[in-house]
Amino acid sequence: MSNSTSNMPSTTQRLPPQSHQTAYVLPLFLRRLMTNRLAVISLIGVILLILIAAFGPMVYTASPITPDYKAINQSPSAEHWLGTDNLGRDTLARLIYGLRVSLIVAFYVELLNISLGATLGLLAGYFGGLLDVIVTRIADILFAFPGLLLAILVAATFGPAVTEQFGGIGRLLLVTGSLSLVSWPLMARLVRSQTLSIKEQEFVTAARSLGATDSRIMLTYILPNVAGIILVSSTLDIASVVVNEAVLSLLGLGIQPPDPSIGKMITDATPFLDANPLQVLFPSLALMLIVLSVSFLGDGLRDATDPQSLM
Amino acid sequence: MTRVILRRLFSLPFVILSITIITFLVGYLAPGDPILSMMGSRRDPVTYERLRHLYGLDLPWYEQYVDYASGLLQGDLGLSYRYQGRPVWDLIGNGVFVSVQLGLAALILSLAIGIPVGLWSAIRQNSLWDRAGMTTMLTLYAVPSFVLIPILRWINYQFYIHGLPSLPQAGWGRPEHWVMPVFVLSAASMGYIARLTRVSMLEVLKQDYLRTARAKGLRNRRIRWNHAFRNALIPVVTVVSPSIAFLVTGTFVVETLFSIPGIGYLSVQSIAQRDYPVIQSTTVLLAVAVLLMNLVTDLLYMLLDPRIRVEA
Repeated sequence: MSNSTSNMPSTTQRLPPQSHQTAYVLPLFLRRLMTNRLAVISLIGVILLILIAAFGPMVYTASPITPDYKAINQSPSAEHWLGTDNLGRDTLARLIYGLRVSLIVAFYVELLNISLGATLGLLAGYFGGLLDVIVTRIADILFAFPGLLLAILVAATFGPAVTEQFGGIGRLLLVTGSLSLVSWPLMARLVRSQTLSIKEQEFVTAARSLGATDSRIMLTYILPNVAGIILVSSTLDIASVVVNEAVLSLLGLGIQPPDPSIGKMITDATPFLDANPLQVLFPSLALMLIVLSVSFLGDGLRDATDPQSLM
Repeated sequence: MTRVILRRLFSLPFVILSITIITFLVGYLAPGDPILSMMGSRRDPVTYERLRHLYGLDLPWYEQYVDYASGLLQGDLGLSYRYQGRPVWDLIGNGVFVSVQLGLAALILSLAIGIPVGLWSAIRQNSLWDRAGMTTMLTLYAVPSFVLIPILRWINYQFYIHGLPSLPQAGWGRPEHWVMPVFVLSAASMGYIARLTRVSMLEVLKQDYLRTARAKGLRNRRIRWNHAFRNALIPVVTVVSPSIAFLVTGTFVVETLFSIPGIGYLSVQSIAQRDYPVIQSTTVLLAVAVLLMNLVTDLLYMLLDPRIRVEA
């Protein structure tokens, strides 16, 4: 019901179609998201994590890398808010930088997923034919590698040379690239199947009979309808990307020491579990916080963008 | 149905071929000269050429691939870079055996716990048992293995300092070494299987034929086990494939963190020594093994579910 009333003005005021989409659908979907308490809390959590990663080092100035051998495995104190690790490095500072790494990797992986996976999926679904065959085949082949296997292979083989040539930034990009190698096929597949069903609908036929070009149909008629799926699946995918980055780093294939990564922090502190369990607890909690808030936000977005739950 | 099976069997070689091509290309494109780094400071052109020839690196890339692929067909995984002239199989052969044991144990454990927990939760829907069981299973599914391991170790350590029976922290060989790694490795798929079994059983319990069975006066037990259970298990067969994918990534983490000399641990170690043929072989072996297991589960699914058989 609320849907029909909110769409009403667009017909009476004769707004152009584009402003119809931005002015009415977007607030509706945001309004629906705001009614989901868990999603709102998660959204606040995600924003907070981003703020901490961006501005944390300005407020909390301890070095994440310099060891202090006089302060090893300390408990939380005024000087070291979350204590220190087995080399006397400040845990909170390392966590903030580790969070930065996680979020940057997640951001770039999703950027690649959307620009490569979603675009290829849209084009393949819309045009079909040879392009579709090629995209689907490549996705199938990449799917044949179970789990993180392909990412492990690529990160392992190119890792040392990339680090020698480009240092830490290069390594970060390699981790990003190898992780998106295992996640873009899924995005392409999702967008493709959604495009396949949308392009058969009447409004697309109507647009085509009015003389709309392929690019116009894709951008103004199909894209808004797959945007929800892209948004939801890339949000949910962030959770697995964060965990996968941690796995690569703890296997020694991701972020290289002494640069902090949350996954490496957990496993590095595990041997000192008896002396200082907090050093395992804090990064584990941080990781679970990211994963849970992103997952709940993704679920909330799915409910908010799902047209079937509009009724 | 035979057509579907034949099509699957027919496409299998092509998928395996693509797996080997990709794996080969990654190794081929790897920067740096493996022979130079193998020789270290003792560089002399004669040995260099001899080694290049031994490893087949003096051939053009397509001949290298043909060599590599025909080697694979004969079960030859190639030569190690780190240990001159030693076949990769010598290095990881035992590891394959260890990993298969570990993976099978984890798969069996996740099915043996996941299915009963899921069934009971469905039968006692919304009871305390259902909520507690499903919360536990969701936690096991959501908590990554490298977070689960410190938690278990901490609990184990508390047992140890209080003089209670405790498990070894790491290592491989004795039966007590198995407990923690197998549990951690099975955790994610256990949670996944339990939740899916519950959903599937609930779906079946709603069906009309169960109401008919009840109306006929059949006992609850008989309805559950003879009518519902068997049908609820069919979709569970399909989860085995994603579970195996969980196991593959898990193998690397669990073996590395528990120092278990399986294929994952050995290949991570070989990466540190820049022995790329090992990780290449591991990738091919794992990918093909998973592919074959997926094929088996799909065929099993078709065999179990008459609806699919008819549609196909």
